[in-house]
Amino acid sequence: MSVDLELVQRVQAGDKKAFDVLIMKYQQRIIHVITGFVHDPVEALDVAQEAFIKAYRAIPNFRGDSAFYTWLYRIAINTSKNHLTSRARRPPAMDVDAMDATNFYDAPELKEFDTPESSLLSDELEAVIHQAIDDLPEDTATAIKLREFEGMSYEEIAQVMDCPIGTVRSRIFRAREAIDHKIKELTGEGE
Amino acid sequence: MTVNYNEQLSALVDGELRGEQLEHVLDLLKTDVQAQQQLQRYQHTSDVLNGFTAKLHPTNLSARLALALEDEPSYAVRSESKAKVLPFPSQLWKQVSGLAIAASVGALAVVGVMSQPENQLVSAPVQTAAYEVVNDVHPQLASGNRWTVSEPEVEERLNTYLVDHNEYAGASGVFSYARVVSYDAGQ
Repeated sequence: MSVDLELVQRVQAGDKKAFDVLIMKYQQRIIHVITGFVHDPVEALDVAQEAFIKAYRAIPNFRGDSAFYTWLYRIAINTSKNHLTSRARRPPAMDVDAMDATNFYDAPELKEFDTPESSLLSDELEAVIHQAIDDLPEDTATAIKLREFEGMSYEEIAQVMDCPIGTVRSRIFRAREAIDHKIKELTGEGE
Repeated sequence: MTVNYNEQLSALVDGELRGEQLEHVLDLLKTDVQAQQQLQRYQHTSDVLNGFTAKLHPTNLSARLALALEDEPSYAVRSESKAKVLPFPSQLWKQVSGLAIAASVGALAVVGVMSQPENQLVSAPVQTAAYEVVNDVHPQLASGNRWTVSEPEVEERLNTYLVDHNEYAGASGVFSYARVVSYDAGQ
């Protein structure tokens, strides 16, 4: 059983906090999708909030026929379209197929929030993260790259790197800790 | 919060946490703000690496949703009532009775097919059979049943009815069902 499905079942059994983890996991992707329809940042956040609330209300009916993200993605798209309709604006003609939702990264038809400050922070953040990965020991860098860029599972990475799954897990964790340390330096949150 | 927990949070971001460890981490996340923030940081890094560049701080939405969802009900009660609707014994009985009905219908169908004469779907043999039935009147049936046909003209007409019916049914692909032709002796 996937972690998402386990979280959904917890929500269905009355554990509202499990839904917070799902929000945390998918909020950026959902905002990214919604901004393809709603370009105003404040409106987009409102629509994202509405989409998550709709998902929470509908979650008792989620049976796991599709991946949770695909299901959530559909709700986000419908909520965006309804929002545009209610504002008497035309929804974009081009949609992204729900089946591609899990691989939905840099679709050109999507625009992002683009204020100069946010762009600068975002660009810096990306640069710091990539620099942090370059500074990692080779095996740690390889593990995080295979995970984040290739989307491999721990088991697949263990096969590629010929090491136990536990080692993969700790290498990825060490990579994230190193990246996190660099981000804290950038944002002034360092200890 | 220990390093071990941080490693588990990292695995949670990747969807690689299972069983007891997942239970523990989810329980920790209910109360431990530091764990929640750390999970958010790991997730944020992952999102950036996957192209979901963070131009809005992710806590904006999380915090808003946490407030908005406070008014929403939890689904525990609904789940319990669902469990009461179909308790195990009644579900079992439903399955067993459904199976019994299906088996009975199946058995009837098999018996029905087996009891059909072999030549019923072929027109020529049926024709022969019809002649035989009508012409060969059994002595024990001759006493007071409908196949007691004394007039050759009536017998011939009944015979013709059966033959015509079987020929027509066989040629048109319709199942030939007639086995007996009767008549009212008074007419």
